[in-house]
Amino acid sequence: MTEVEIPEVTTSSDESTRIIEKSSKIITAYQHALIRLPSEGLKIVQLRPDGVISLGKFGSFEVNEILGFPFGQSFEILENLKVKPTKSISQLHDDGEAGENSDEAIEDVEKEKDELTKMFSNSAEHNQNIINIGSKIQKLSNEEIDELKKSGATSKIGQTIIEKMIAGHEGFEKKTIFSQQKYLKRKQQKFLRRFTVEYLGASQLLQYYIEKDIQRVLDMSEESLGLLMTYANIRPGGRYLVIDETGGVILYAMMERMKGQGSIVLVHDNEHPNIIALRHSDYPEESINSMIKTINWLQFVEPDNEKIDWEDATAEELEEMKPSKRAQYDRRSKRAHEINEVINIVQEGNFDALVSVSSLHMPTLLEHVLPTIGGSRPVVIYNQFKELLLETQHFLMSDKRVLAPSIFESRVRAYQTIPGRMHPLMTMRGFGGYVLWGTRVIPKESGVQAIGRGIIKRKREDTPSTEDEKSDKKPKEE
Amino acid sequence: MSFYQYKDTIEEGDLVFAFISRGTIKPIVITRDQQLNTRYGHYEHNDMIGMKYGQQMAGARGYGFIHLLHPTPEMWTLSLPHRTQIVYTSDSSYIMQRLNVVAGTRVIEAGTGSASFTHSFARTVAAEGRLFTYEFHEPRYNEAKRELEEHNMTGNTLITHRDVCNDGFELDNIPENFQHDGGINGDVIFLDLPSPWTAIPHLNSVISQTSRVGICCFSPCIEQVDKTVKALQDEGWTEIEMVEVAGRRWEARKDMVKDIKDVVKRLKDIQSRKNQGIENRRHAKVKSGEKRDHDQVDSGDNGSDSDKKFQNLGKGFNPFGKGIRVREGDDGFEWRNVTKVEGEVKSHTSYLTFAYKIPVPS
Repeated sequence: MTEVEIPEVTTSSDESTRIIEKSSKIITAYQHALIRLPSEGLKIVQLRPDGVISLGKFGSFEVNEILGFPFGQSFEILENLKVKPTKSISQLHDDGEAGENSDEAIEDVEKEKDELTKMFSNSAEHNQNIINIGSKIQKLSNEEIDELKKSGATSKIGQTIIEKMIAGHEGFEKKTIFSQQKYLKRKQQKFLRRFTVEYLGASQLLQYYIEKDIQRVLDMSEESLGLLMTYANIRPGGRYLVIDETGGVILYAMMERMKGQGSIVLVHDNEHPNIIALRHSDYPEESINSMIKTINWLQFVEPDNEKIDWEDATAEELEEMKPSKRAQYDRRSKRAHEINEVINIVQEGNFDALVSVSSLHMPTLLEHVLPTIGGSRPVVIYNQFKELLLETQHFLMSDKRVLAPSIFESRVRAYQTIPGRMHPLMTMRGFGGYVLWGTRVIPKESGVQAIGRGIIKRKREDTPSTEDEKSDKKPKEE
Repeated sequence: MSFYQYKDTIEEGDLVFAFISRGTIKPIVITRDQQLNTRYGHYEHNDMIGMKYGQQMAGARGYGFIHLLHPTPEMWTLSLPHRTQIVYTSDSSYIMQRLNVVAGTRVIEAGTGSASFTHSFARTVAAEGRLFTYEFHEPRYNEAKRELEEHNMTGNTLITHRDVCNDGFELDNIPENFQHDGGINGDVIFLDLPSPWTAIPHLNSVISQTSRVGICCFSPCIEQVDKTVKALQDEGWTEIEMVEVAGRRWEARKDMVKDIKDVVKRLKDIQSRKNQGIENRRHAKVKSGEKRDHDQVDSGDNGSDSDKKFQNLGKGFNPFGKGIRVREGDDGFEWRNVTKVEGEVKSHTSYLTFAYKIPVPS
């Protein structure tokens, strides 16, 4: 991200409660949204009616201008904080009125092609005649560009600058059409005042953090997030045990898939959980609180010590309390009930999945966690380092309570997507993390006799130890 | 609705996945007096009734075991009878994540194929979402339809026998509870067809006219992508991007640590034994060509305590178990944990072409 960071708009609880049901389809007041800039920069903004959103050098616009359009719509900034919808963020010339039916849409495409040809009327077949003389090739000076910029912050000016730059570029005609297109795209990213407003889904939130602070999401890629959600079988009505050290990105992804049905117990290693990412979620605080229960590791590991001995005061006692005392009593009562409730939920166990995105040492942690996961439910563990999952997998293989644990890696490779000129992009992100998936099972204590080499020998012995059974039971599937 | 909700105890009539080995997962419907016969023992359905999902079950004749698992779309993907090339989890999970398929999403899928992705979609869109799936091959359609019925998935999934490339997606009699604003109104489209570009022009009438629609076309050949991209452009789709997903499964293994000091020590040991003629006598004891387990080998004199990790290793200094069969992780050796990629990698499944369509502002 290159543009200037603008202070983030924060949600006051007063405003967030105004959202009764958030829309994932229509740009709606008070919601948060992701803004995609031509520079490929990302911003999260809250859409306060009558508010003004500044996109730094790309200009500013009034929130009311974009409300009611579908999410995914691109806009172009005009003068006086106005915008107009535009077909896409990078389309070359746009006369504003997008076609009303597909015929006109096709005309638009044709028109765009014509514009391209006009601009690139002279291109070279190859790059043989290109001589690198640096910035001297551009006759338009920086001062002149600044002058133009001052004349107004609209895309029209941006367009004019680009046209003048092309006209002032002595070597432009010596470029091939491909390189001319790339040049144009670069200049558009710099001078066009366009943006796209996207629904802030889990993928968008993750993408935002990847750009802003990859460590916060532990290097996780979108494809790894997808694997986590799918292997953990996340759906409405589930009861999940979650360790989320991303500040709530995982919780948000789960809540999006659960649509308010089911429950999540979040185990955390501080006194208070960090769920900062949920401030962008637009879920009312009450529904977050009713769906997500939090418990710290001390309470999780030593539930009996940490349960609060609490007796509700009688009606008479309440009557006698002074207002200040009463407030204190209510706070304590609420806390005690909340803590005891979540401890009870954990002690009851039988969770529908373990979803772990954590830097904690898994083998020691799993000793405490595995008994709470229900039979035949998925155990899904993310880590940015394969080696740490390897250690976990070895632990699980000898433990026997998780069946067929495997480490999965998923990497998405993007292509330059132009007909006739498809090829993978030259670089891609090299990280993205790994996902371990297994199924919680209930091993038989005794009387299990594996088939395999050594069976006859072992029949002569008294009781086979469980350790030996699995190792030589079945042929390796390779 | 077993693919939509977990239960704890196995009952008659349940669909259960008998996990025999990683490569062999057998879906069975629990039926009284039936038996599951495998290479790894025999299992009575009667005995399964009342057991907990996830429990390990011993074979009826005292050997072998299986695990009884609850159905999930992912287990189904691993077990299902392949009628076509299937969409694997690394692809399907990414597609759903990227196109924001969540509870309530309305999805159009063509073709159904082996119905692997169908199960995954149906789970994720859940009771409030809808899945419209189309299959043009009649036997496959019948198979899939029967499966969806058996799996109680028809509450949110509607399968249609149709060649969408020629006949489009519009349906005449959409059940009331599948309609939205009187039609299909898809939010997300997944096309796994030989020629998606012929189906794309038919989409306009069945997609949402008020909100952004996402599409993913799944094609193995780059030539197909080329045509698909052109068709998408012509139909006004934007943000067109093709990607491919490389999925890998890693196995956890152990590799022996072989210290050069021990190598040198062993060579010295051999040398000294040779000098004494002991080496020859040891060879006479071992039958030629046949390897023995290291615990079957005479441990001889136990040696000093400091060399404890090399006890049981027969006569002479044999730190790496040469000449005997050593299994990964056996006691008496030093191991380090390593990963190894699965033997056969799915190096190419298909190209995924994504795009979006925004309704025209009115």
